[in-house]
Amino acid sequence: MGGGLKPARGFSPAAALLLLATVAASAQSLPYQRPVDEAPQEKSIGGGYKTPAVQKPLPRSSWLQILDVAVLAAAMGISSWLVLKRRSRKSLAALAIGSLAYFGFYREGCICPIGSIQNVAVALTDPHYSIPMVVTATFFLPLVMAVFVGRAFCGGVCALGAIQELVLVKPLQVPRRLDRALGLLKYVYLGLALFFALKPAVARDFLICRFDPFVDFFRRTGPPHMLLLGSAFLLAGMFIGRPYCRYLCPYGGLLAWCTRLARRGVTITPDKELDCGLCTDACPYGAIEKMRAVRRNCLYCARCYAACPRDGDLAHAKAQLVNLS
Amino acid sequence: MHYRQVAVIGGKGAGPGQFSASLRSIAVDPAGNLYAANDSQITVFDEAGRPRRRWSTSQPVHSVAVAGDGAVYTGQIRQIEIFDRAGKLVRTWRDDTLAGRVTAIGFVDGDVLAGDATGRAIRRFDSNGRFRNNIGTDNPLNGLLIPNGVLDFGVDAHGIIHAANPGKHRVERYTPAGELLGHIGRFHGTDPAGFGGCCNPTNVAVRDRIYVTEKAGPRAKVYNFSGELEAVIAAGVFNANCKNMSVAVDRRGRVYVGDTVKLAIFVFEPVAI
Amino acid sequence: MDSSWGRPSACGGLSGRLALVEQVANLQADCQSAAPRGFRLSNAPSERYTRRDLLHKAARGTVLATLGGGAAFLVQKAHGQVVWQVDATRCLNSRLGVVGVEACKLCTTECVVALSAVRAVNEYSRCGRCNICPAYFNITSAVDERGLPSEKLCPRDAITRKPIGKADPEDPANNFYEYLIDEEKCDGCGKCVMQCKEPLGLGSIVLRIRYNRCVDCNRCAISRACPKDALIQVPVEQALRSQDGGRA
Repeated sequence: MGGGLKPARGFSPAAALLLLATVAASAQSLPYQRPVDEAPQEKSIGGGYKTPAVQKPLPRSSWLQILDVAVLAAAMGISSWLVLKRRSRKSLAALAIGSLAYFGFYREGCICPIGSIQNVAVALTDPHYSIPMVVTATFFLPLVMAVFVGRAFCGGVCALGAIQELVLVKPLQVPRRLDRALGLLKYVYLGLALFFALKPAVARDFLICRFDPFVDFFRRTGPPHMLLLGSAFLLAGMFIGRPYCRYLCPYGGLLAWCTRLARRGVTITPDKELDCGLCTDACPYGAIEKMRAVRRNCLYCARCYAACPRDGDLAHAKAQLVNLS
Repeated sequence: MHYRQVAVIGGKGAGPGQFSASLRSIAVDPAGNLYAANDSQITVFDEAGRPRRRWSTSQPVHSVAVAGDGAVYTGQIRQIEIFDRAGKLVRTWRDDTLAGRVTAIGFVDGDVLAGDATGRAIRRFDSNGRFRNNIGTDNPLNGLLIPNGVLDFGVDAHGIIHAANPGKHRVERYTPAGELLGHIGRFHGTDPAGFGGCCNPTNVAVRDRIYVTEKAGPRAKVYNFSGELEAVIAAGVFNANCKNMSVAVDRRGRVYVGDTVKLAIFVFEPVAI
Repeated sequence: MDSSWGRPSACGGLSGRLALVEQVANLQADCQSAAPRGFRLSNAPSERYTRRDLLHKAARGTVLATLGGGAAFLVQKAHGQVVWQVDATRCLNSRLGVVGVEACKLCTTECVVALSAVRAVNEYSRCGRCNICPAYFNITSAVDERGLPSEKLCPRDAITRKPIGKADPEDPANNFYEYLIDEEKCDGCGKCVMQCKEPLGLGSIVLRIRYNRCVDCNRCAISRACPKDALIQVPVEQALRSQDGGRA
């Protein structure tokens, strides 16, 4: 029996839900077909009236999407050049600000290579899933770069990294073992992200996107709990260098694997006569052990070069010196 | 005045007295038989509500009316099919002036009136089917305001046509020549005497009073010729999604309303208080 | 020497550091005067091409091949962009058969974009152009002297009403009116959609995602909250081509 109810407009949500349930149930038993109707047309209205066209705004043009990938590639090239060749901390900071502005506040943090792990994983397993080419490029380019020169993406290109870099005012050294232990968390996160991303389409959940602590700053809006989380990360990031990058970033885990094979990269040449260790103290990310760069943890910040008293003329003669890293 | 429900005729189904697809129009003849249009089918019920006859039409029917001689006129798209009381097709009228759906048929002075919902006007034909004049087009909009897709009217004993103009929330009075005499009704969102929503009243029937049905808050009401609300016949019994409910009145003042979702005809009887 | 950036506290005294700096300066001077560029200081073992180097090279090649192969596989699998859209046959505000409930506001509150990417869109060819539009007016409000409701429905005043076609100078009620929705003001709250829905209206206003505002999340936040699963993913051409969601 359908409820012949007048449309009421002051219902509380709970009552509305109950009403909806009963009405929906009754509506299902009597399928409601669209009755005959005919809206007045131009001819009938007359007076020179023309029906306005319904607007259909287009999404971001594919050229702009390709531009994003090009900017990503260029920024990584500049980053590796600035760190490996120029070794200029100031310039790298400028690049970080630029990347934060472009990939962070302009593109609002999306598409990012960190999240693209999920897209690629789904695309490899679900035949019905369509992955745009720019997402594929966003995933693979930093990895290819890492196989050659290490984590150029992390240094000055990744917007999440850049925002943490810029708040790092008083870096404290995290004890080695704790640092390494916490670093395993990123593989746990990677596993979880893959587990939820590889579920069937209806249950699929993109954790990396949902729990990105900094994206709400980029969007300038967000639920309070995520803004709080982001603020907590930034607060911690003032003293502990780049906590998300070192302990949680799943893409950082992939980059670390690729960096193991890199032929070039940040190099600390040990010199028995000059074991000053200033670089080890300067590195906030624990990427220098026993005077040697642990490339897979190096986040391309160039603080070691900035702290090195040798930097300058002799630095360019690096190739001639012993290379033990 | 007060009305009570006395019967429910029809219902959704495939049986002899049930409707399977739609219930677009109902009509009552002087003998009290009830005619109901179910898509391409006309079903005839007697006064007691028992199904008597049923026949098919060639096209979906949008309106049904019974002339004084017992002929059954069915309004379809751009044509009117006329059957005798046994259900045999006698004539088909096609006319260029019929722009689309004929959603109401009435009779005045031997002429046949067809409500053209697409053309937003009432067309008047003589008994042979020749077009005579339009009713309702003598205004800057060249017609009535019919956003809901159904143009309905009734003819009273004096030959005055009472047409529902839902876009203006009125029932307008016209002479058969097309002259506007006046109107009753006004818009009001909460007052039961007013017509609510965007387009109400949707359907109208006239005998000694004006009977209207509305949608979106479906209800049936009766007004006198001065425009005063006499009674709300029924409000809560119809399915909330009803639209364009057909209404008919017999000589005893019983009101028949066709619920377009439940596909049933509700019968109400006036009860003196 | 480049100025340091956030250098942590160092162990060892300042004087020790200065002594080292001096040593370096001397060493620099020695090296530059002693040998031309390109002079090898020692013939250390790592300079030779070892098996480790070969393994490294092989591993690098394999990884690069895997990455390249994966990328090529995914690129050939790519077939266009997919966007989110609101299915009008399932959306609570526009789905036929549901009356008497409050408009669902989840499209406004759940979207991650600051002002929701969902907007109410009036499909003009299906609009009745009624004098008293239940989506424009609050039809339960008091009627003013012109016979029109006194209040408007939209809380952000995003709908404008203007007469169209030939006008009746004596009777403003005898006229067609057009209702235009200003998308800059609309936030997709759905009130007008619910009022326009059949049988009260003609159902010409629907909620639609506007692609110049939508960031195309992997999983639309609204889709996670929608009680009717009305958010669907369709290829972008199809989304732009379809006039409506395919109404029942």
